[in-house]
Amino acid sequence: MNAGRGIKTIIGSFFRKRGQMGAQATSASFLVSITFVAVLFAVALSWMLWRFPYHLFSDEVYNVVVVNAPESFVRYNEKTQAYRDKRSKEYGNRTNLWRNLENILSFQYNFDGYGSTKYFYKYNDALYDFVSFGEWMREYDAYLTIVFPEDFDEVVDNRQNGLSDDKPEILTYYRTNSLEYSSMKDEYIDVHLAGYESYIRASYGLAITSFSDSEIVDYPIPTVKNASGIKAVVESLSRNFIPILIFIILLYASMSIGTNVIAGQKERGTFTGILLTPLPRYSIVIGYLGGVVLKAIIPAFCVATVSSLLVGQFSLGGFFALYFYILALEIFIASITILISVINDTVISAQTAFLPIFLTLVAVCVTCIQSVNEREDFYMFLPVHGQFFGIGDVLVGRTNVLGLFVSSLITLILSALIVFITERLLHSERYTVSVDTVDAKAVKRRLEGGKPTAWESINNGYDNLNFFINEAFYPLVVLSVYQTLAIIPVVISYMRKAEYSGFIQDLANVKTINDILNKTFEVFGIFFKDPLFLGLMALGYIAIIVTYFIHAGRIWKIKGFKNKVSACGYPLSDTRHIIRHYALGLLIGFIMMSCTIGIMFFTGQLTFSGFSLNISGIGVFIFNLLMWFPQGASEELMFRGFMLKSFEKRFKPAVGIIASSVVFSALHSLNKGYTPLASVNLVLIAVLFALIYYVTGDIWMTSAIHTAWNLSQGNIYGLLVSGNSSSNSVVTAIYSDNASSLITGGSFGPEGGLATTAVTVVCIVIVAVLLGRKGKKAFPQLL
Amino acid sequence: MIQLIDVHKSYSKDHETIKGVSFEVHEGQIFGLLGPNGAGKTTLMQMIATLMKPTSGQILIDGLSADKSLLEIHRKIGFLTNEIKLDPLSTPNALFDFFANLYDIPKDELRDRRDESFARFGISPFAEKRINELSTGMKQKISIAISLIHNPPVIIFDEPTNGLDILTSKQVTDYLKELRQKGHAIILSTHIFSVAEELCDDIAVLIDGSIVAQGNVNELIALAKANTFEEAFFKIYVENHKE
Repeated sequence: MNAGRGIKTIIGSFFRKRGQMGAQATSASFLVSITFVAVLFAVALSWMLWRFPYHLFSDEVYNVVVVNAPESFVRYNEKTQAYRDKRSKEYGNRTNLWRNLENILSFQYNFDGYGSTKYFYKYNDALYDFVSFGEWMREYDAYLTIVFPEDFDEVVDNRQNGLSDDKPEILTYYRTNSLEYSSMKDEYIDVHLAGYESYIRASYGLAITSFSDSEIVDYPIPTVKNASGIKAVVESLSRNFIPILIFIILLYASMSIGTNVIAGQKERGTFTGILLTPLPRYSIVIGYLGGVVLKAIIPAFCVATVSSLLVGQFSLGGFFALYFYILALEIFIASITILISVINDTVISAQTAFLPIFLTLVAVCVTCIQSVNEREDFYMFLPVHGQFFGIGDVLVGRTNVLGLFVSSLITLILSALIVFITERLLHSERYTVSVDTVDAKAVKRRLEGGKPTAWESINNGYDNLNFFINEAFYPLVVLSVYQTLAIIPVVISYMRKAEYSGFIQDLANVKTINDILNKTFEVFGIFFKDPLFLGLMALGYIAIIVTYFIHAGRIWKIKGFKNKVSACGYPLSDTRHIIRHYALGLLIGFIMMSCTIGIMFFTGQLTFSGFSLNISGIGVFIFNLLMWFPQGASEELMFRGFMLKSFEKRFKPAVGIIASSVVFSALHSLNKGYTPLASVNLVLIAVLFALIYYVTGDIWMTSAIHTAWNLSQGNIYGLLVSGNSSSNSVVTAIYSDNASSLITGGSFGPEGGLATTAVTVVCIVIVAVLLGRKGKKAFPQLL
Repeated sequence: MIQLIDVHKSYSKDHETIKGVSFEVHEGQIFGLLGPNGAGKTTLMQMIATLMKPTSGQILIDGLSADKSLLEIHRKIGFLTNEIKLDPLSTPNALFDFFANLYDIPKDELRDRRDESFARFGISPFAEKRINELSTGMKQKISIAISLIHNPPVIIFDEPTNGLDILTSKQVTDYLKELRQKGHAIILSTHIFSVAEELCDDIAVLIDGSIVAQGNVNELIALAKANTFEEAFFKIYVENHKE
């Protein structure tokens, strides 16, 4: 058998205009990628254009200390300053936008320094006197020290007169506490010292200087100026933004194409025909792999090429390295998608299965971004990390050839391993012959002449693992979508404020995941005092509720509910019932929280500072109060109204209670101060809510309890709610000096402490008794 | 050509779908598998077509077993079943090219074969139309043409005339007779009695995973002491089917 012809044919089928493999999503994905990159570049550029003043005419003054300056250097500085003043007058009337556009369109990022430079001339007979240089830099608030040798003029003279070939060495010392200083220093050498070199070459007729730079390590000066530079922005684009963009494009394109083959073909019944041909299994796998790689790589190559040109990377070797990194990465991703495609029988299940891998790889990208300035050398050799850093390096013009080959080799070996596994799986009939996975109940119903419920027809294709992943991820996805949407306007409004620049500077010092989390919590601390944020969050929660009504209602309409809303656990028919249950729920929530606070108060964990409601912050207070209502309702809807029921339908109520409670707890795990005890408490609280749901039959009461619990916790007693602080509260609880975080819950708030455990356990017992008394009528088969 | 020796298949521990089936099909013979839904016909066909492995027992195609010479067997068999679908967005021409390449058929040979089967089934006017624009009968005819693109000596057809009108059905049965004439070994599963009666040289009645009767039409009628083939089948079914 000519395997080559078979492989070529399969690859070719990806590019035929007619036929399913060619039609699937790729042109759309290409369009999406290109639009995505265009929009993001537009955002980045507009930010650069408006934010950064044209550097040559910047009003900012940066100080440089010059040690042992020769006369020629002083003269050169005066001359450039005069030129600067002249140009400044000429172009003074132009706007920043226009000046920046001129420079960007002509790809000239190497401006003459950052703002103007003020020189402080000093003398020192040692070239390596770190202590003095450091003191001067602190004294003059300088970011750079240039040290000329004392005999600079003499060496130049000797060289000019042919007495010696020695070149004088000029040393530079710069502050390392900000990334910007490093690129400013580079630019200073590239532009100003190079200008000086040609200046003395013109005077002496010889190239006589050489530059070397060293740095003052960890020089402890508080950051004083908001140094900024277009080069730093370009570097940050190249190292962080473009690599993650390429990753996402590859992941998205590979997923949409890779799940369409094999899994998609199995779904449509066209795969068996291919399996029956005398083509070896490995040819089939390699053919599909090749097709996915070649097709998914096109948008990534386009984006890489455009980005590369945009950031000013024009070298041929650079392009080669860039494409090679992307190719290796794409082969790796494509082999994973093919493996997943073989394991799954439908496109949708394959995509669901790919989701965790998608998220994991994006998470790896995020860790790469965090460590981009601190990375260890061996990162360059790892798959994924190596490609991320490698692409960034290429774009800033520092290709690491060894890293390129080693990381690509390791990545390809891993891919080969995955291909091998995939090939073995294709020999198993479990993954090649479609076996009906319809559950027995549905079969029975169909045999008895009944129609499958919508619920069955949606969930029949799933095995339990996929079902669980689906159910657990759905709230996560919905939450992140709406919360992100709610945060965007707030972030934009903050970017305009002065505090923001200081915050950005602090970000430069972020090193570990913990730092990221702390920074995030810090931001949320600020946001939680902003009515805009609170209002948008409330809207987001309402949107979640509406989404669930539509989604869940579609599935459960048939099950004898009047409408979508009541299918989700909010029956609307009995207004008296609603008012009574909701009011009772609010009261119960308040009492439960008061008991928790009471335990802490009587065990001497905290005291109160009396009435502390701040009248000026009353608007925020009201917004905060309003937010808790949709917040409680949406979380109840997600976990009790929907997830609990889904599990209950598929398995048993007990499974539903446990699964929904565990997921509820897990979703809080990223909150500040989360501890194992907090996770147990959240499970217990969720179990309590679930039991109350079974007692009352709907989620009106639990929604009210949820709202009252959070509201009284944050805005009445002034404590942290799952790690989040509220702006304004009726009283403020103050922890005693000897308070034990085991009881109080520490920085997670009372929900992380034993006081909550005690109250919740007591409540669970009470509700369990109630449930038992209500008996089998209410709930025949809890277990 | 095809040899089944005590073939068993079970999907789960407590239930056996195929319970020890043995038979043989020779060149120039059409072998019919007759049985109600769920008797195990499709499972048996899929095992012969190498898509599944028997739990125990042996299946030999031209003396070859799938464990050792899977790809050679693929070259020798043509398998048609309702489970195998044509890419709905592709065209007959493109599909012919695609599968001809996968079977590694030389270009000029492909042209002849394409011309011949397109002419026989009247596919030519639709050669550039998308599959999803075609009628059920035309799709089936294209499926048949494609499953036999490599001119296999062994033909395994699962319900080939299912859902076809009388004219198309006749075209298919005529073609099968012609193939028998040319010396192909053919296995056919069907639950249409007229087809079985007309075509099959040897018929095995498969009920609940075992062959309960085997022979040509007349032998089966005699065996069941019935007047017609249809009646014979019902008698055999009632005798052998257990709840």
